[in-house]
Amino acid sequence: MIGVSSVGLVIGLVCGGLALALGIYLKQLRPGITGFIVCTIAGFGCSIIGGLIALFVMAAVIISHAYVDRQDPFTSRAKLEEVDFSETTAQSTMRRLANFGNTVRVSWGALVRNKAGFIGFLGVTFFLAMSAFGPLFIEYEGSAQFSRRVDGARSLFQAPSAEFPLGLDWQGRSVLSHVVYGGRILIVTSIQAGLAATAVAVLFGSLAALMGGWVDGILSALANFILTIPQFPLLLVLASVIQFTDPIQMALLFGFLNWPTLMRAVRAQVLSLRERDYVEAAFALDLGLWHIISREVFPNMVSYIAVNLIFTVRTALYGLVALVVLGIVPLQEPDWGVMIFMGRSQGALFSQEAIWMMLGPILAIALFQLSLVLFSRSLEEVFNPRLRSGL
Amino acid sequence: MTSIPTPRPVAAAPRRSPGQVLRRLWDSYSFRVLIQSLVTIWAVTTFTFVLIRLMPGNPIQIRIDQLMNRGLTFEEAEQQAANLFDFDPDAPILEQYVDYIGKLARGDLGNSILGGGTPVNSIILEFLPWTLFSVGLGLLLSFLLGTLLGVIIAYRRGGFLDNFITTVSSILYGIPDYVIALLLILVVGVQLQWFQVGQMRGAYNPAIEPGFTLEFIASIFQHAILPVGTYILSTTGSWVLAMKSSTLSTLGEDFITVAKARGLSETRILSAYVGRNALLPLVTRLAISIGFVVSGSVIVEEFFQYPGLGRRLLRAITERDYTTMQGIFLVISISVVAANALSDLLLGWLDPRVRVGKGRGR
Repeated sequence: MIGVSSVGLVIGLVCGGLALALGIYLKQLRPGITGFIVCTIAGFGCSIIGGLIALFVMAAVIISHAYVDRQDPFTSRAKLEEVDFSETTAQSTMRRLANFGNTVRVSWGALVRNKAGFIGFLGVTFFLAMSAFGPLFIEYEGSAQFSRRVDGARSLFQAPSAEFPLGLDWQGRSVLSHVVYGGRILIVTSIQAGLAATAVAVLFGSLAALMGGWVDGILSALANFILTIPQFPLLLVLASVIQFTDPIQMALLFGFLNWPTLMRAVRAQVLSLRERDYVEAAFALDLGLWHIISREVFPNMVSYIAVNLIFTVRTALYGLVALVVLGIVPLQEPDWGVMIFMGRSQGALFSQEAIWMMLGPILAIALFQLSLVLFSRSLEEVFNPRLRSGL
Repeated sequence: MTSIPTPRPVAAAPRRSPGQVLRRLWDSYSFRVLIQSLVTIWAVTTFTFVLIRLMPGNPIQIRIDQLMNRGLTFEEAEQQAANLFDFDPDAPILEQYVDYIGKLARGDLGNSILGGGTPVNSIILEFLPWTLFSVGLGLLLSFLLGTLLGVIIAYRRGGFLDNFITTVSSILYGIPDYVIALLLILVVGVQLQWFQVGQMRGAYNPAIEPGFTLEFIASIFQHAILPVGTYILSTTGSWVLAMKSSTLSTLGEDFITVAKARGLSETRILSAYVGRNALLPLVTRLAISIGFVVSGSVIVEEFFQYPGLGRRLLRAITERDYTTMQGIFLVISISVVAANALSDLLLGWLDPRVRVGKGRGR
């Protein structure tokens, strides 16, 4: 999911070129150039998935710059009788894209204005970029480097220097290279876990609320059950019986353990919706189920879903690193958890010179978790129009 | 907002059908909380039963294979494994299950596979007090500290103190507890040399005779200070943030304005009107927090070599001592479920809206 490749670069350049061409065609040069940069980076870093998502978002943004809604009686100031409200599919797609682009722009503005949230966003972006593009600049050191032993030193540990900014570990390998390479699988697995949990939660939550009866009973009881058991001991017990070899299995396991909170929220939200005035109004206006779901229900849930997604990513990262640090799951370098595990087993906890080997991964985990928290705290404001206008 | 339903007339009918009695019982909030916890505990026990016996590659099968590799026939190996796990492999699965539940109900958790078959009960009794002590102390102190700071910064909103404490709390809230533990060891123990982390393994100094002496108690606290400090650092932040927002929303309520209009003193408003109502939502969080801290205690105890239940669970897992693992996991789960139920009951007692509101409607 994350990682540079030459194919990714080509995809990124193609997507970026399309965005730039769209910008030039619509005479919106600055958004076009921004789109080119964003799409190229996203395509290079995350290949086809990142490139296409970035292209979609940036195309919407560029269109929203150029788009003028001539049919909107409020913006075109035309007389109501003269406005033709029927539109072709192409026109309506255009209008929706422009709307979406506007939302993106407004959310981005809200995010930039929110100081702590923006710092969190930058932090998250930094770690993602480090995992994706770090390998371009820094070589991975997998084997021991005995030649780096300083004369008279008892071990290969070294404090940070200009050559090795985060110091050397017990085999004389650069800690920086392990920090850069060691986060990728952790981050990707955590994000997969978050996506899995979100999908299950939304599905189960709406099922429970819409079907009611025994489906609701069973799903709610299951959610309660998973919520009450202390999660990490359960994880330990499971990991002791089941051998996890593939990160995907870990992601699915974390997804399975983390859906209940969001599921209960979705269920409560769907249940309470019928009683809301604006939904009743939408029903009374006969706006159709799809409109109600996409325009009235979803905007109310999106901040909650996003916050919960990030929360699950954090929980999964916490559990993944902890399992590795305790040596419960098979160790595989490079990995932040393995670095801490090795540091502990090499006695770095009790010797002053070895501190640098531990400090790198510890700070990486702490800063990434912190960025996620700050980012998720600001999301509420970004997605909630009522809070947004106030700030 | 939960609308408060009109109170039902107190039914004093002399005769009620059993169905009605059950219905009334079900309407009782405490009863539902209790039933829910019992069902959860039953589910946990069944889950471990299934995990140990029925999963492919379950520990009993592995043990039989190991014994057969040592040259035993299958029957002998099966017999030995059965003795170790204390069950009859030929009995139908349902009978095994009933037997297992029956033993659990009598409080018999079986014997450890390793170490000459020590009863799991005595292992748990040896390690449980230290976890209860450290986790309980950490939670209590962080709750007191966090709520106090939360109220203070809610009253001084926007000031320097508010900004400072809120920032620090967000940072502490964001960092995982084991990272805090590692940083404590590295910074306070190794670099600053304030504590000799190596000497602080164990729950107390073995050179000191256990007893009710000042020296012994001081040793206990000295050895617990790092784990307890970790729990405090990792949970206080969330208490501060929760208490701040809860106090702020309480301060906006109408009854506070009325209390002010009545000319009540600030301290009385704070203690009787703001404090009590702001604390209510935190009671539910207390239960969640217990689960989190107990989860984290596994790693924290391992890092500080503190002889608690979490560390013992970890040892049982690395040694593949499945009966001990099962026993400790059950005890941990049951205590967390019980703590949850207790906090639910407490909330129902403190806040009548919870008791009544959930009765119908949902």
